[in-house]
Amino acid sequence: MPKTKLSYKVGQFLMFAGPAALLFALVVIVPFFYGLYLTFTSWDGVSLQKPFVGLSNYSAVVADTDFWGSLGITVIYSVITVVVTNVVAFLLAFLVTSGIKGQNIFRAGFFIPNLIGGIVLGYVWKFIFNRAFVSIASGITGATVPSLLSTTNGAIFCLIFVSVWQYAGYMMLIYIAGFMSVDASLKEAALIDGCSPRQAMWHVTIPLMRSSFVTCIFLSTTRCFMVYDINLSLTNGEPFGSSVLAAMHVYRKAFTEKNYGVGQAEALVLFIICAVIGLLQVYIGKKGEVEA
Amino acid sequence: MSSATVSAGIPQAKVPMRTKVGHVVLYVVLVVLLLAFISPFIIVIINSFKNMSDITSNPLSLTGEHGFTLENFSGAMDAMNFWTVFGNSLIITISATVLTILFSAMAAYVIARNPSWPACALLLTLMVASMVIPFQVLMVPIVSVYGGIFGVLAHRVTLILMHVGFSVSMATFMFQGAIFTSVPAEIEEAAEIDGCSKWRTFWSIVFPLLKPMIATVAVIDAMAFWNDYLLPSLVLTDKNLYTIPIATQVFYGTYSTDIGLVMAALLLAMLPILILYLFLQRYIIAGVAAGAVKG
Amino acid sequence: MNNSWKRIGTTALAALAAVGMLASCGGGGDSAGGDSDTLTIFNSKSEIQSQFEEMAEKYTEETGVKTEVYYSSDTISAHLSTRYASHNPYVLSMVDAKDIYSLGPDHALDLSGEDWVSDTTQAISVDGKVLGFPVSIEARGLMYNADAIEAITGEEFNPEDYQTLDAFEDLIDELKAGGMETPTGVLKEDWSLAGHYLPQVYEEREDPTAFLEDLHNGDVDLNSDAKFTSLMDTFDVLMENNYAKDSAISAEREVTSQNFAEGKIAFLFGGNWDWAVINQYDYTDGLGIMPVPQNTDDGSNTKLVGGGSKYFFIDSSSDVTDEQRQMAKDFLNWLVTDPEGQDFIVNTCSMVSPFASNTLEPSDPLGASVKQYSDAGNLIGNFNGLPDDHYSVLGADFQKYLAGQSSREEFAAAIESYWAGADMSNVESLANDTSSSSSTTDDAAANDAATDDGATE
Repeated sequence: MPKTKLSYKVGQFLMFAGPAALLFALVVIVPFFYGLYLTFTSWDGVSLQKPFVGLSNYSAVVADTDFWGSLGITVIYSVITVVVTNVVAFLLAFLVTSGIKGQNIFRAGFFIPNLIGGIVLGYVWKFIFNRAFVSIASGITGATVPSLLSTTNGAIFCLIFVSVWQYAGYMMLIYIAGFMSVDASLKEAALIDGCSPRQAMWHVTIPLMRSSFVTCIFLSTTRCFMVYDINLSLTNGEPFGSSVLAAMHVYRKAFTEKNYGVGQAEALVLFIICAVIGLLQVYIGKKGEVEA
Repeated sequence: MSSATVSAGIPQAKVPMRTKVGHVVLYVVLVVLLLAFISPFIIVIINSFKNMSDITSNPLSLTGEHGFTLENFSGAMDAMNFWTVFGNSLIITISATVLTILFSAMAAYVIARNPSWPACALLLTLMVASMVIPFQVLMVPIVSVYGGIFGVLAHRVTLILMHVGFSVSMATFMFQGAIFTSVPAEIEEAAEIDGCSKWRTFWSIVFPLLKPMIATVAVIDAMAFWNDYLLPSLVLTDKNLYTIPIATQVFYGTYSTDIGLVMAALLLAMLPILILYLFLQRYIIAGVAAGAVKG
Repeated sequence: MNNSWKRIGTTALAALAAVGMLASCGGGGDSAGGDSDTLTIFNSKSEIQSQFEEMAEKYTEETGVKTEVYYSSDTISAHLSTRYASHNPYVLSMVDAKDIYSLGPDHALDLSGEDWVSDTTQAISVDGKVLGFPVSIEARGLMYNADAIEAITGEEFNPEDYQTLDAFEDLIDELKAGGMETPTGVLKEDWSLAGHYLPQVYEEREDPTAFLEDLHNGDVDLNSDAKFTSLMDTFDVLMENNYAKDSAISAEREVTSQNFAEGKIAFLFGGNWDWAVINQYDYTDGLGIMPVPQNTDDGSNTKLVGGGSKYFFIDSSSDVTDEQRQMAKDFLNWLVTDPEGQDFIVNTCSMVSPFASNTLEPSDPLGASVKQYSDAGNLIGNFNGLPDDHYSVLGADFQKYLAGQSSREEFAAAIESYWAGADMSNVESLANDTSSSSSTTDDAAANDAATDDGATE
């Protein structure tokens, strides 16, 4: 069978990627373009008319300073969360694959935060920040200590803290898969060759886990940029609207303020930013993979 | 509370002498971390056995003045119509997870082995890009197209296929990474020389080697499907098809949220996923061990 | 190796086949929601969802009409927009007053000919057509715990003695002297601050629409506005004596409500919807709602602010059949005239009925207060034309004030600048629809601008 023929390639592609590509196109691509069309209308989300307004929604996006403000906060939040999450997740994965006793219990324990859906998670942490921490801190200092959630920087800190707490277990899972797929014989060979365990880690294990890093960093970045449910239940944008992250702003714009077209256009801007960051990351990661 | 648990958690006698100090330190660190990770979960468990009044007055105490109660559980199960929605969740999660794994592993294989084909490059790029589309962008268009034009909402099959459509991109991305790193191309070449077709090679050699990633994707996607609220709430417009997260929404209101019911419902809902995880976790290790021997 | 892949393959196929069967027999058949023989009802009050479902079951048994009740914790307009987009609307939807104005003209059936229209003053009309059926009456005011007050003062608490802020402050001082160090609570939620308290500044005057137009045009100086001043003076007293003064914007609503229910604090600004939270605690019996005390002589300190809350409308599109519309109309009539329907509203759901013919006494003390003021014509109408972002934007500014991070002048300036740039379409649509001015303080029974048309038709 000539493997260079176009028909062979098309056949192979359809046979393997056909079902995935079809569903993906139907569920994501088609609605995406319909959504794109909606950004050129001044639809309010509920009325029967969808008047065409050209680019005016986009000029409204440019003029919406709150949107750019929330985007700025989202960037700060995302950078810190991504770095801390991945460091913690990698260390956790390393510790629970080091062959200690009861590592399965630890793995399960660290993963548990993911089993609690985002909304309830926010409620539980709100309890902890507003009640438990406050009463502990007040007990120590002897004075009434305001909750972290009631200060501007504190609320963002709480968001980061809870996000790290939730995502770290998830990313740990991917890092564990990475650790597991690194051929043990390679590491042993390095150790026999006189490498210290630390050197083996730096020069053998970590380079071989590159795809885990790319995956985790990419996933955590995009999740951070689009975080909504924790934002909703933990801070709900408070205090004073200072912790409204981008996705929440988009949602409020489209549905609470019934500015569907503008909301949709803002979501699209958010998408483009995420896409650029994401693709850049994957590209850099892949390039490194080839070099390594 | 933590100090007592920490010391109890160190099985000092079992640690061999030569690494004792290192292990003790490691254990202390891990146990402290573990407590930090699961403490909110413990709070959920404790409070699911208390009534609203006691939860509000002291969410950290073991029981309140109204004592231990199972009413949250019976109340939550009644209000949710638990067994029906549980069955729905189970069907949808299992089907969507199986389909996602099969379809995306297949797609990842052709993409990973033929990165130069334009169709492969395009598909992967689109998939990666799609992972960053905020769901709100697609929410109304999706119901407009599939409800308004085709009228196929209110079917489980629709939701299952949509779940798959949304999740294949990430799963494919993860699988193609795993194929790069853990499936040596030489094994496949050997199989092909023996006369195996690509299809046969994939299922008999590549797919089994992906076991750790399959288990990982299974946990991640099953959890996402099980907990998903927004998409099912758009698609399943019929009460009889509700899944657990939609059924629990009734506990959240603008002016009142019954935390006790919410927590009981949460515990009921997360048990199956916890069991699945514990089960698959072993599988991850077994699969890796098997793969390592052959590599 | 061979065995293992076979096993995986077989398992996967078996699972798929099983799942396919389950999914197809369960999910196929009747695609519900679109059933033309079912009365689908959207309920947007989560606290009555379980009662509503039980009632629907009974209603189906008795009348043979298949009834299904749905609820969503999503924003009402977000949820309904997805139902419209999929051409699968509810036959009967419960929404907020403002949604009747925005959704009604496109989606609601004209109910002007219904019998119940003449039985209420709270129905909503748009362009001369009755579109909204009022579900209940809700009113805002200062909630009090008489038991807690009487335990200190030793004499019977009579709310009418504390209409002015001066009298109220004396009482607060007496309570403090008697051992209740912090007699008040303040809900920090944006909907409470800027959705319930602040709008009183607009509502407690002759013509809210004209006032907001002036505010929009920059013709109002709030700092010298008597109503703003008197309401904020009172708010300052509530804020000063707040049990959670140092952590005002992290005080949880549940904790505050519990303190109030159990008499640890005596006063809390709120409304009869708070009963859904308060009744979960060990409440004492002497609860009630009184007008917000103010140093004013415009009479607003003798009235609660409120009116119709939550409205039903019937879908008018071709996605719903005429039979379904008739079922919905029958259901609304059942709620108004049938003893069981009346009992459902008042006793089962603890709501105050907006219909004169429903004379049942509310079972909860807060509702009883509201009914008392409503029956006496002492309600100042809700203003339903605020912009959709009003409560979230000004809620944030009000929280800053509550936290002590901004002064009253700064808060006033924030309100003025919000209105200068506000989208006035909601305000204007209300002004256009109801040419008659909404007289607030003089004629409370007909106060709700929107209801005039409906009531007189």
